Amino acid sequence: MHSTDQLPQQQPDTAPDEDAVRAREWPRHWPLLLLGAALLPGTALVVLGRWTDAPAVLAWRTVCLAVCVQALPFLLLGTALSGAINAFVPASVFQRVLPRRRALAVPVAGVAGVVLPGCECASVPVARSLIGRGVTPAAAFAFLLSAPAVNPIVLTATAVAFPGRPEMVLARLVASLAAACAMGWLWLWLGKEEWLRPAVRHTGHRPGHSRWAEFRAGFQHDLLHAGGFLVVGAMAAATFNVAVPRSVLDTFAGSAWLSVLFLAALAVLLAVCSEADAFVAASLSGFSPVARLTFMVVGPMVDLKLIALQTGTFGRAFAVRFSTATAVVAVACSALVGGILL
Amino acid sequence: MRRPVQALLLVLSGLGLLQATLFSDLFLRYVKEGMRPLLVASGVVLLALGAAEGWSSAARLRRAPAADGASARDPHGHDHGHGPPWVAWLLFLPALSLLFWAPPALGAYTASRETPQAVTVTGQDDFDPLPAVSPLPLTLGDFTRRVQQDRSRAVQGRTVLLAGFVTPDGSGDGWYLTRLILNCCAADAQSVKVHVHGVAAPKADTWVAVTGTWHPSGTLGTPSAEAGLDARTVERIARPSNGYTDGPPLVTR
Repeated sequence: MHSTDQLPQQQPDTAPDEDAVRAREWPRHWPLLLLGAALLPGTALVVLGRWTDAPAVLAWRTVCLAVCVQALPFLLLGTALSGAINAFVPASVFQRVLPRRRALAVPVAGVAGVVLPGCECASVPVARSLIGRGVTPAAAFAFLLSAPAVNPIVLTATAVAFPGRPEMVLARLVASLAAACAMGWLWLWLGKEEWLRPAVRHTGHRPGHSRWAEFRAGFQHDLLHAGGFLVVGAMAAATFNVAVPRSVLDTFAGSAWLSVLFLAALAVLLAVCSEADAFVAASLSGFSPVARLTFMVVGPMVDLKLIALQTGTFGRAFAVRFSTATAVVAVACSALVGGILL
Repeated sequence: MRRPVQALLLVLSGLGLLQATLFSDLFLRYVKEGMRPLLVASGVVLLALGAAEGWSSAARLRRAPAADGASARDPHGHDHGHGPPWVAWLLFLPALSLLFWAPPALGAYTASRETPQAVTVTGQDDFDPLPAVSPLPLTLGDFTRRVQQDRSRAVQGRTVLLAGFVTPDGSGDGWYLTRLILNCCAADAQSVKVHVHGVAAPKADTWVAVTGTWHPSGTLGTPSAEAGLDARTVERIARPSNGYTDGPPLVTR
């Protein structure tokens, strides 16, 4: 007990002439520090040990680790791609491929999302390096939003999860593309560059430096950066997963409008991978098709782990505005498309 | 985060992934079997990144041993502006957890919390005739569908063999033979349960094989029928290597 009291006082004592003290002598209370160092971890381990045996804590750790393990390969793919775009692809390529008019570049980038297979974790770093290479942010965001939802793997999974209902796949494709393009155009209309963190600006290749060294540095930086935020998101999703019983779901299944909004919120909180969310949606059989479509459109665009990733990559000012707007647009698009097609 | 620490983090993460995939089946507690090649590749890439980082840190240290502190803060600042933020430290948690302190697979706790049902009642009515063996091995999902959808009532009077883990029933009447099924990772686990009557509940999370007949409750072949079993024998079994699927029990007799 005594030793813990000493610990905080130790810092101010040594702070002013830290270097000198550290170089010449031990701190004055070092026996107490040693004692604390010996006792505290032990006590912490015992208390933690008791507590971590609880089934809820074990389930939390399992879910949290599962989200990290599942997402890591896709995060690696995304950050490697991002590093490669930064180091190897000249900016002129994008100016040639994308239409000059920015309003036209948005849908082109949205459709281009088809080429990036995998989860949403991969698309955030790629969008970041696209912006760094001079792609207009509006087009990069359209790509960011559409890529996880319209790629062949996810559409196939949707078809498997809803057997005999191809209109669900079509509705998902159309609603996701519509929401992605709408967000791109919304950014052209209202977006401000200063919301984006300045560090977003990748430098690209510099003459006189090894491209491989630049690739490795960018890859590693993006990976550690985004990976940390992935863990934050995984923790949040695991907390929701363990803390909220699923029976809460059924209370909202009755009302048409409430169920749409409720499943949209659930998609944000559960943070299920876009490759798996169709199966989860299919299992929510008490809900209307439109509500389940909303779950599948909102999930890959806004969820806890994506918000954490975007905060880390683009800054908080951006992530808050962008996620809120995306959630609203995605719900509107899926309600509209679902109303027509389903 | 200093450069040697980054190297350590990358190497530990890589080792964690390889340990969970190549040298054990730990990863099956968290994700599906099909993820193995991706995870092995990721582990190798992480190891390579960590080794490259360690090598370049050491090389830099050898070039300018005096400027240790400065070089740790990345003399090539133009590469990427600044080092990874504090949040990257959190990556040590999954890495160390995989290496030294892997949490167990999900079990009775998760299943008892009313996860979504994996068996959905569909319009299926083209059931194949059941093979003439006794006891008849079935998956929990097949048994549920036979009981609730098979109008021909082929399962009536048949002794079936089911396997799963034990989930206690909160209301005290019997217990559940359970499987958790993953679509992608453990975050989206769904459950399939069969209510077992007539035998005292083994300890929660024990894997058992149960033989028995349908427990008459509701009308067989319609959704009103309960997926329940009047158990005759209950036998402990080892957890299957991939417990997150709804496979039929292995017949050993």
